Amino acid sequence: MKTMEYAEGFWNPYVAGVALGLVLLLTFYLMGTGLGASGAVARTSAVLAHTVAPASVEQNGYFKEFYGGAKRHPLVSWMVFEVIGVFFGGLVAVLTARRFRPLVARGPGASIGLRLGLALLGGAIAGIGTRFAMGCTSGQALSGGATMAVGSWVFMMAVFGAAFIAAYFVRRQWS
Amino acid sequence: MTGPLYMFGVFGHATSLLVAVAIGFLFGFVLERAGFGDARNLTNIFYFRDMRVLRVMFSAVVTAMVGLIALSWVGLFDYSMLLNYTLLPTYLWPQLVGGILFGIGFVVGGYCPGTAMVSVASGRLDALVFLGGMIAGIWGFALGFPVWGWFYKSSNLGRLTLWQAFGLNMELTAAIIVVMALAAFYLAGLGEKWAPYDRVATGERYDGGSSHDVSRGIPLCKPN
Repeated sequence: MKTMEYAEGFWNPYVAGVALGLVLLLTFYLMGTGLGASGAVARTSAVLAHTVAPASVEQNGYFKEFYGGAKRHPLVSWMVFEVIGVFFGGLVAVLTARRFRPLVARGPGASIGLRLGLALLGGAIAGIGTRFAMGCTSGQALSGGATMAVGSWVFMMAVFGAAFIAAYFVRRQWS
Repeated sequence: MTGPLYMFGVFGHATSLLVAVAIGFLFGFVLERAGFGDARNLTNIFYFRDMRVLRVMFSAVVTAMVGLIALSWVGLFDYSMLLNYTLLPTYLWPQLVGGILFGIGFVVGGYCPGTAMVSVASGRLDALVFLGGMIAGIWGFALGFPVWGWFYKSSNLGRLTLWQAFGLNMELTAAIIVVMALAAFYLAGLGEKWAPYDRVATGERYDGGSSHDVSRGIPLCKPN
């Protein structure tokens, strides 16, 4: 296998997977629901739009579910707090492993401009996808997968099927 | 004590937010230690370079799935709470379409939302841009909601599990998923040996230093 210095020094993937599964199990035991991430981004998106156009956000067919009649601020939600924890957990892990590196992750032949452009585009597509699917790799694939929810398995298969095909067309940014 | 604790009123909303931060901390820590703080480690699976994403994800799903069943067997978890109240409902077509979009966005953008947070914490500028793209994409979704709102809530099959859909029992379905995971782990190893995108480009794989042996390398793409 070719040398990939960025892939060195991590836990054995099966050990990491079992650890991740135990965190997920603990979440179900404590809360009855699983992990999540994209919901927090959606709430952030709604709140940012709300600072510019409060009335249209509160009346928007989608965003109103974060505002409609709720007494709590949209950011006072379990998942937003969880994602804040994710950031700090990641930060402590990366600092204690001494591998904090400010950089743009890309293939050896890809330019920074190409990579950042595709990160923006891919983020937008993925963001729309999470709203139709009502979740992402955390909420649907991991949490729904572990509880054997039908829609979550459909989502998971669709994600990996589409990504393996789409990978061919963006191979330049990763090669 | 039988879980889910929050649903049985063992602690309230304010405490649940503290639990959220603590759980998130563990989640983020493990994601970083799994190598998910860099887009290359996340997308290498799609080029058969390093199948760690499959190994981590599938072993996590299996661990939690088997763990929940085991906890319910010993009376520490009330599985019916999950089935009746919190199991993610299935919206078949939106979830299929959402999954396809998400899969494209994943390999084009390099991240998924949770790993993007960890990668921002790891100093990855592209992860920050990815999250900015997500926020903008969700604005687009909300703006177009009058057009596709009907689709978003369509084909609602309710809280439906695989074993209910296939008319099997829970434990048998879980056992089948465990076997699927083991098969996937085996195939992942074969995929890494296959490495279709790197046959020529890496050089090493092509002739391994013994310059004339080209039998193992089939040039599928031009060297860089």
